[in-house]
Amino acid sequence: MVYPDFSMIAPQIILIAMALILPGVYFLLKDEKVLAGLSMVAILAAIGSTAYMMYEQMYGDFAGIFRFDQFSALLILLFLAVVFLVVLTSLKHVERDKHHAEYYSLLLGATAGMMFVASATDLIAIFIGVELTSITSYALVAFRKNDPRAAEASVKYLIIGGLSTALSLYGFSLLYGVTGSTNLVDIGAAISAAPSGMLLVSVAAMMAGLGFKISAVPFHMWAPDVYEGASTPITTFLAVGSKKMGFVALFKVFLVCFVLGQAVMVSEIQMAFAVLAAITMTVGNVVAISQTNIKRMLAYSSISQAGYLMIVLAVGTEYALAAGIFHMITHVFMKGGAFIVVAALCYAALGEHINDYKGLAKRAPLVAFAMMLFLFSLAGIPPLAGFVSKFVLFSSAISEPGAAASMQWVWLVLIAVINSAISLYYYARVVKYMYIEEGESKEPISLPWTYALAIGICVLAVVVIGIYPEPVISACEAAAAALMS
Amino acid sequence: MSDIVLSLLLFTPLVGAIVALMMGGERQKYARYVAMVFSAIPLVISLYLLVMFNMSQAGYQFLEQYTWISTSFLHIQYILGIDGLSLVMVFLTTLLVFLVTLFSFEEKERPNFFFALIMAMELGLLGVYMSLDYFMFYIFWEVTLIPMYFMVSIWGGPRRHYAAIKFFIYTHVASLIMLIGIFALAFGAASLGGSGQLVFAFDYIAAAGFSGVFQTLVFGLLFFGFAVKMPLVPFHTWLPDAHVEAPTAGSVLLAGVMLKMGSYGIIRICFEALPEGAVAWQIPMVILALLAIVYGALACIAQRDLKKMVAFSSISHMGMVLLGLATLSEFGIAAGAFQMFAHGLITAVLFMVCGIAGHNIGTRDIPLLGGMAAKMPKFAAFMMFGFMASLGLPSLVGFVAEFNIMASFFFWAQDNNVVWVVIIALSSLMLTAGYYLWAMQRTIFGRVTDRVDLSHVHDVSTYEALALGALCGLIALFGVFPALAYDFIYPVAESLAALIGVI
Repeated sequence: MVYPDFSMIAPQIILIAMALILPGVYFLLKDEKVLAGLSMVAILAAIGSTAYMMYEQMYGDFAGIFRFDQFSALLILLFLAVVFLVVLTSLKHVERDKHHAEYYSLLLGATAGMMFVASATDLIAIFIGVELTSITSYALVAFRKNDPRAAEASVKYLIIGGLSTALSLYGFSLLYGVTGSTNLVDIGAAISAAPSGMLLVSVAAMMAGLGFKISAVPFHMWAPDVYEGASTPITTFLAVGSKKMGFVALFKVFLVCFVLGQAVMVSEIQMAFAVLAAITMTVGNVVAISQTNIKRMLAYSSISQAGYLMIVLAVGTEYALAAGIFHMITHVFMKGGAFIVVAALCYAALGEHINDYKGLAKRAPLVAFAMMLFLFSLAGIPPLAGFVSKFVLFSSAISEPGAAASMQWVWLVLIAVINSAISLYYYARVVKYMYIEEGESKEPISLPWTYALAIGICVLAVVVIGIYPEPVISACEAAAAALMS
Repeated sequence: MSDIVLSLLLFTPLVGAIVALMMGGERQKYARYVAMVFSAIPLVISLYLLVMFNMSQAGYQFLEQYTWISTSFLHIQYILGIDGLSLVMVFLTTLLVFLVTLFSFEEKERPNFFFALIMAMELGLLGVYMSLDYFMFYIFWEVTLIPMYFMVSIWGGPRRHYAAIKFFIYTHVASLIMLIGIFALAFGAASLGGSGQLVFAFDYIAAAGFSGVFQTLVFGLLFFGFAVKMPLVPFHTWLPDAHVEAPTAGSVLLAGVMLKMGSYGIIRICFEALPEGAVAWQIPMVILALLAIVYGALACIAQRDLKKMVAFSSISHMGMVLLGLATLSEFGIAAGAFQMFAHGLITAVLFMVCGIAGHNIGTRDIPLLGGMAAKMPKFAAFMMFGFMASLGLPSLVGFVAEFNIMASFFFWAQDNNVVWVVIIALSSLMLTAGYYLWAMQRTIFGRVTDRVDLSHVHDVSTYEALALGALCGLIALFGVFPALAYDFIYPVAESLAALIGVI
């Protein structure tokens, strides 16, 4: 019997193996610190193996359902970076809770699911990856099961998630029905001959199903409640990790099958995405203005960021995909950084209400400065990473290398730029509270080193990518080329 | 030295800002010395540039060019360079930052943060005046916003929160519209050049050869961005609020050099890259300029707050700049650019005087004041000097600028058979003289007021007097020898007018 090349899914195997070992370790040692340490080891090992395989260019297939190429490698690194930051933030955050083994084990499992989606070349594999992440996330949201807000959020997430899974599976099965294959490339080859009626039902089902995952309007209403109810490291994980997974799944299904396969009505489908993108970014930004809970505000800002990323689906070019991946990377650090700051301040017994941030600059000057950088980066103020990635993303909608400018999506870009301006209002408001208003308390806040390290990594990334983005953009271009050719 | 001198100039304030920021807590008392040193270095460098600048050589000098970001799609370069116009603005920036630091030497509230912000602003301003790549230009353009936002909202007056956020959002929206214009330029140049790579260098885009319609459309986008910054009526509403609430240092830099970013952008970007667009937009520019001049002057008469009056007078005088530029003649462009420089010097005096009034007397409310000359003779002298310079007293710098603008506008009107419009422009000179004289009469002359408590009033402090004295000296110097600045500006205006005149 010939075995498939398991090295192609080595990073996933490392994480899953550790996820399975952790409960046993806890049973034997009863020490939480060891668990976090072992998770870190697994994550670093996975990062190391991915980086090594990229460096040696060990690209290839696993059993025809997973493929390790530049695209999956870059996204695997992205997801690993997310979980690295989340574990770092969790160290102190969950120290007073029970069930540590389950926590880290679920976290690693969820990450493995995202990595499977990143390397999947088959509908079933995508579905399994999405489900692995979703089911573990439901449990993670309910991790503090005695907290009624977390319980409520989890139930909501479970029901919406179940619906979304059912819808996507329905869409996938119809897609299989009309093309006779579950392999993405084969679907792409057969799709131009597929009957349009059935195809549209399938597209609508997948759009809704995966739309829930990326919290596109009108499938977004769960996001603020769940983000608010979950403990903040998990919120970080959901907002910057599992949402990206939804995008990766959408990119694979729509860009590889529909755009490359030149499906019938593909331009109408892209137009539908463009309209959804415009609505999503506008609703997210406008609703964010009136939020007073910082987690809800960041949740709505995440929704608007999803709107920006949906531009990629509307435009559907290889360069737009590269720009989208680039924006996903910067988003991990700026949005992730902002959530980590919230988590850190939560740990320091600061509330989640925007009023609680009054006078923060005097109590914790470095944290306030970092938060300011993250928020300004999200608003797209140069020279931070968010500006460059928005710049690349929006300009990719107008033209791509070697092609003449096209006027087709100018309206979408204009809406996106206007939205960027709106978003500055609510980001600047938080900065104002931190720096200008006087707080009731003047006590200095000091943070454990784990938070400081996580925030420091994000600050470094936001500034360095902002000033010298060239290597990251090149990596994104290579990744996009690997997926779309 | 001369091949990295501009980078050195650009990044000294950044280093200064970081060092000043570190002077927190116990070390706060050293922040001002750090600021003094790090604002003196750029001034020295800009003086060096003034001496070393080769006046007979056309084009940009002290060029520095590196590739910054180069992907298959983007080609962004780090290009710095100065010509006569940028050099004058660079000098003005470094000078005002130095004098503002001197003026605010006794700042007590969070001085480390205060001086760091001033120097961060200097970084942005110098970047705008020296960048020769649109991407860099935009980045520095935005960099100026954030320090100003903090400056207004931390050290500002009672309505500072409103003013700061209004300033921030208003000008950021305008910047985004300008960014769309920059996008359009880059995409247009890429499709004309056929390279498929977005290049943002000034010279590349200026050489692209855009069609007339494209130029007219994009000129509108960019002009809007610059018009809000200048600001032109009706896009001026952020300015009085920001000025009234801003601390003196913020006001001086805002009016002295930040507003000039708008008119500088019109010259450097709109005129240079889009000469046909400039011709198409000439009449709207003239109308907007006249509107700003007259509206600003009329609004001045109605103000009770001394500082708000000066803020509106800035609108009027920046309208004057645009009037000179809008003639599109070498004479007019040079006069407009000279007015930028002149107004930068004069308005610094005016805002410092207003700051002293607010700080030392406790109110800037004109009807409450009176007879201040008796109580504060030095203050009254500086105020009178500043007002006289601003209303265009001959032998001071404002006169030279305004006279030349009016003369060039007259020639333009004559060529177009609309000599009567000159009356509108000229009427503003009378209005200007009117509101300044009336304001002086009510504040420093007449009977000593009994409506404010004058028992604790003290006159101008040494540091403040030093800063004001230096400015007044320069105002007189450039008024008597305008060629000192004109010789730098004129060749730029000449080549621009030739570029536009070809069409």
